[in-house]
Amino acid sequence: MSNYALPAGVWRREAKAEITRSLRLPQFLVPTVLTPAAFFALFALALNKSSPEAATVMLAGYGVFAATGPALFGFGAGVAMEREQGLIELKRVSPLPAGAYVAAKLAAALFATALAMVLIDATALIAGVRLPILGWAELTAISLASTLPYALLGFGLGMRMSGKGAVAAANALYLGSAILGGLWIPSAMLPGWMRTLGQFVPSYHLGQLAQAVVDPAKGGASPSHAAIVAGMTLATGVWAWAGWRRSAA
Amino acid sequence: MEHQLAAVAELVGASKKLGGRLVLDKLDLAIRAGEVTALLGPNGAGKTTSVGLLTGRLSPDGGQARLFGLDATRPAARARMGVMLQAAGLPDVMTVREMVTLQSGYYRDARPVAESLELAGIASLADTRCGKLSGGQARRVQYALAICGRPDLLVLDEPTAAMDRASTRALWATVREAADDGAAILLTSHDLAEADALADRILVMNHGRIVADDTPTAIRARVSGSVIRCRTALPAARLTMLPGVRTAEADGADMRIVTADAVETVRILLQLDDGLEGLRVSDAALEDAIAQLVSDEERMAA
Repeated sequence: MSNYALPAGVWRREAKAEITRSLRLPQFLVPTVLTPAAFFALFALALNKSSPEAATVMLAGYGVFAATGPALFGFGAGVAMEREQGLIELKRVSPLPAGAYVAAKLAAALFATALAMVLIDATALIAGVRLPILGWAELTAISLASTLPYALLGFGLGMRMSGKGAVAAANALYLGSAILGGLWIPSAMLPGWMRTLGQFVPSYHLGQLAQAVVDPAKGGASPSHAAIVAGMTLATGVWAWAGWRRSAA
Repeated sequence: MEHQLAAVAELVGASKKLGGRLVLDKLDLAIRAGEVTALLGPNGAGKTTSVGLLTGRLSPDGGQARLFGLDATRPAARARMGVMLQAAGLPDVMTVREMVTLQSGYYRDARPVAESLELAGIASLADTRCGKLSGGQARRVQYALAICGRPDLLVLDEPTAAMDRASTRALWATVREAADDGAAILLTSHDLAEADALADRILVMNHGRIVADDTPTAIRARVSGSVIRCRTALPAARLTMLPGVRTAEADGADMRIVTADAVETVRILLQLDDGLEGLRVSDAALEDAIAQLVSDEERMAA
C-alpha cells in the first residue's frame, strides 16, 4: 500500500500555495482585511474617542465580523469561481485528498482573518482598550473559530451557485450576519424581530461568546452559546459536504 | 496471477444515469498497461461519462469502476494516475513552474520539475503566470501536470485540441514513449487522425455501449468502401437512398458520400445531377469506418 500513500507535506504545501495565491489577489484580500479594520477605526476611534469601554464592547463584535469576510468571500465566491474555471476539476482528478483542498482554503481564510485581527487589535490599543493577556488570546481564538462555520457556509454556497450568484449571497450573509448578530450595534438595541432572527445566525452566538470575554459579568450564558455554535458548525459542515458530493454526482 | 496485459482501470457492468437518462448501460471496459486505448464515438455516446467513472469523478449507479484494483472514487486510487481534462483550468496568478511543482508534490515518484517542463515543451514559460498563457500553451501546461508524477495511467481528454502542429507532434511522441515504458493510456479525441496515429486499440462507443473494440487497422478494414466528395444540388436524404450508399452528409460546400461501390454510385450521381462538380474519390478512412459502425449499431437497435 505504501505505493498509494501520499508524500509527506502535501497538506502543508497546498496551504502555502493557497496563501500565496490569495496574496496575489489583492482585489479579494484587501477589502476583506481592511473593511472590518476601517469600520472599527471609524466607530471606535473617530466617533467614540472618549470611551475605551464602548471600544472594548465593539472589539468583541468586530473580531467576529473580521472572520466572516475572508470565510464567506474566500470560500463562497472563491470556490464558485474556481468551480467555473475548472480548478476544482483539476484538484479532483489529482491524488490530492478533498480534505487537503478544503484545509488549504481554510488556512488562507484564517490567514486573512489573522491579518485583520492584527489591525483591529492595534486600533483597539490606540483607542485605549485594555484587557488581560488571556482576554486578548480568548478574543483571537473566538475570532479564528468564527472562520469555520462561515467558511463551511461559503463552501456550501460555492458548490451550488454560479460565481456571480455566490458573490451576491456572500454579501447578503456578510451584512446580514453583522447586523442580526449584533456585531455592529448591540443586539439589545435592535428591534424585536431582528433579535429573534439573530438567534439563527452563528455570528450572534459567537458575538455573545466574545462579549462574555470582555464583560465577565455576562459569562453565565456562554456554555449554551458555545453548544449552539458547535451545532451550527456541524450543520454547515454537513451542508458543505453534501454540496461537494452533489457537484461530483 | 495476472493477465498478460493487466487491467489498470476497468468498468465492470457499470451503469450511470445522468439527469434521468441512462448514459451507460452495464458497460464493461478495461484499460491495459503498455497500450494506448482511444475511446471514440459521437457526442452523447458516453465517452465523457466513462472517463468520469474511470477517474473517480463520478460514481457508478450500478456495477463497479476500479482503478489499480481499488474503488475509483478513493483518493488513494488516484496516486498513480495523471489526467489532462478538457474541463480543467489553471489559476491565473500562479506561475507554470509553481503549478508543476505543486502537482509533482502529490506523487511519490515524480519527475524533476525541469524534466516535466521540458517534455511538455514549456521550459521557456516556466515563470509565466498561467493567466497570461495562450490556449495552446495552457493545454501544454495541463499535459505537464498530467505526466509530472510518472503515472502508470495517463488519461488524456482531447489532448491536442487548440495545440499547434509542432506541439501536437511532440505530445504524440511523449505519449508513445510513456506507453512503451509500460504506462496505460486512455485517450479521447475528436481528431481521428490522432487516434489513428497513436492508438494500439480503438473502442467505439454509441448509446452507452461499446460497438467495436479492435486495432485501428482492423477497424478501418471493416469498411471496404470509398468516399466520394463532390458539389451537388442533390439532398443528402436522396443520396442515402441510392444503391450501395452507406452515408451521405454535407461537409462545408461539399457532399461526402460513403459507398460500397464507388463506380456505380458515381455513374448514378452523374446521371441525376449534370451540374455536379469537384468530384473526388478516395479510400474510406478511420472516420468513415467509425461512422459506419455507429450507424450499423443504430439500425440494429431500431
